[in-house]
Amino acid sequence: MSEPELPLEPGRAEGSAGPLFWVSAAVGWAVILGVGLRGIFAHRIDTRPANLARFVVAGALLHDLLVAPVVIVLGVLVVRAVPRRPRAAVQAALAVSAIVALFAYPLVRAYGLSTHNPTSEPHNYARNLLIVLAFVWLVALAATVLRRRPRPVT
Amino acid sequence: MSVVLPERIRRFTTDPDEPLHQRAYASSLRDERLAAILGSSLGILFSICFLTGLYSHIQQNPVSWLPIQPRPAGLYRFTQGLHVASGIASIPVLIAKLWLVWPRFVAFPVAKRLSHVVERIGLFPLVAGGIFMTFSGVANIAQWYPWKFSFRASHFWMAWVTMGAIVAHVGAKWAIARRSLRRPSRRPALAAADPVLGTVAEAATVPGGGLSRRGLLLTVAGASGLLTLTTVGETFHPLRRLSLLAPRDPDIGPQGRPVNRGAANAGVVDLARSPAYRLEVTGRVARPVSLTLDQLTALPVHAAELPIACVEGWSYSAHWSGVRVRDLLAMAGAEGGRTVVVESLEPNGAYRTSTLNADQADDHDTMLATHLDGQPLAIDHGFPCRLIAPNRPGVLQTKWVTKVTVL
Repeated sequence: MSEPELPLEPGRAEGSAGPLFWVSAAVGWAVILGVGLRGIFAHRIDTRPANLARFVVAGALLHDLLVAPVVIVLGVLVVRAVPRRPRAAVQAALAVSAIVALFAYPLVRAYGLSTHNPTSEPHNYARNLLIVLAFVWLVALAATVLRRRPRPVT
Repeated sequence: MSVVLPERIRRFTTDPDEPLHQRAYASSLRDERLAAILGSSLGILFSICFLTGLYSHIQQNPVSWLPIQPRPAGLYRFTQGLHVASGIASIPVLIAKLWLVWPRFVAFPVAKRLSHVVERIGLFPLVAGGIFMTFSGVANIAQWYPWKFSFRASHFWMAWVTMGAIVAHVGAKWAIARRSLRRPSRRPALAAADPVLGTVAEAATVPGGGLSRRGLLLTVAGASGLLTLTTVGETFHPLRRLSLLAPRDPDIGPQGRPVNRGAANAGVVDLARSPAYRLEVTGRVARPVSLTLDQLTALPVHAAELPIACVEGWSYSAHWSGVRVRDLLAMAGAEGGRTVVVESLEPNGAYRTSTLNADQADDHDTMLATHLDGQPLAIDHGFPCRLIAPNRPGVLQTKWVTKVTVL
């Protein structure tokens, strides 16, 4: 086995919790509970706590239990499938493409047009997204072609 | 069995050959120094969002101890443009940071001492808050409302939850972040510094070939830069032509200017065009005034170049002309130093009235504009007249104004 043994009880150089930890935890939780959650419940006509909680919890669970594992599996597949030379550029381009597409999603779906605002979302966002993605992959291609030979790992 | 089960769980979560073992997520990119760089960048971007958001909040919910000043005229345009741009730029940083530390979320054992319990509980408002703030912000600028709550109230109060979690997290990570940021980047002492991320990073079996740590940082910076370049032109006009993904174009709309709410949507088309339209100045005045449109446009004209800055992050500056509010108040014989409420023809809506504090009402550029860029206001811009005042969110620049009440 060339891989290092995993220590079962790794030493905690993270530092035992000092005064800074406890003071900021106290201040942080005072703000979370005393301002944030109190505000949410004090203004529940506007914040609709049950509906809000659904979105807040769903967002975190969706990320932690679905998006992150899927991305990690995809990452493994990319490492296996893509040859070494373009690999870094492909990884970068995939990441940027996914993020840009995520951001553009509500625009491409034109959700905003339902407000009948004559000036809202005036562009063809599907086309524009493709232009941006084409740019990203052109940059990735250029980076791969122009890249010097990787130096041996020292 | 009762002895075997804990042992089974321990093996399942720590043994290299079991699925939950951290080595499964091995990557030399899961580096605590990288986590510290991304984390501090995110902390800065979120703090900018928080402070500019607070400013936007007290613009819309004034507090007596900090009255909003009308100058500098372009301040709100700057702070709100910065708010939206920082929020957009933080998306790739947040995603990268979450990817980097995700193995920690599933690390076992969950906690070994009280401080771990406190820290891990605090991760929930941190992660959930960060995701919610960016998601709800992006959805709002795209005018996508898949929820039932009020965006403004929920985004505001959740910002406090998120900031509280950030304060706690910064305190928990201060020492490790400072140490790893000081450490030269080519000497990762990972396992010693952070047991989970460290062993994960050192277990990386693919040396070279993929993204380097620097490459990941460049990728994140590139994604933030790309999102910024393709959106910021809606407020920073020199980049207008690059704004492929901006929800607004500062040159598209009636009279070549965008609006946030059209007249048809506000239900004011007939009221605004009716010959029965009057502009009234009432309240604590010596001589209540009621003006027809012709009388209004016959008054002395004031003109100024002032910005319209939407809370959603788009803005433009234009040449407005109309009647000064302070001239109208003087005409009605109102005392100086009064708060003034401006009321729209809109039958309902959260923004059918807006309040000018004494300084704002008295500013020499605060006016009821009847003309935009030399042309009579289009109905979507607020015909017959709209409020235009310096340093003010667009939603408070009330359109289709029919009444000015002195309090």
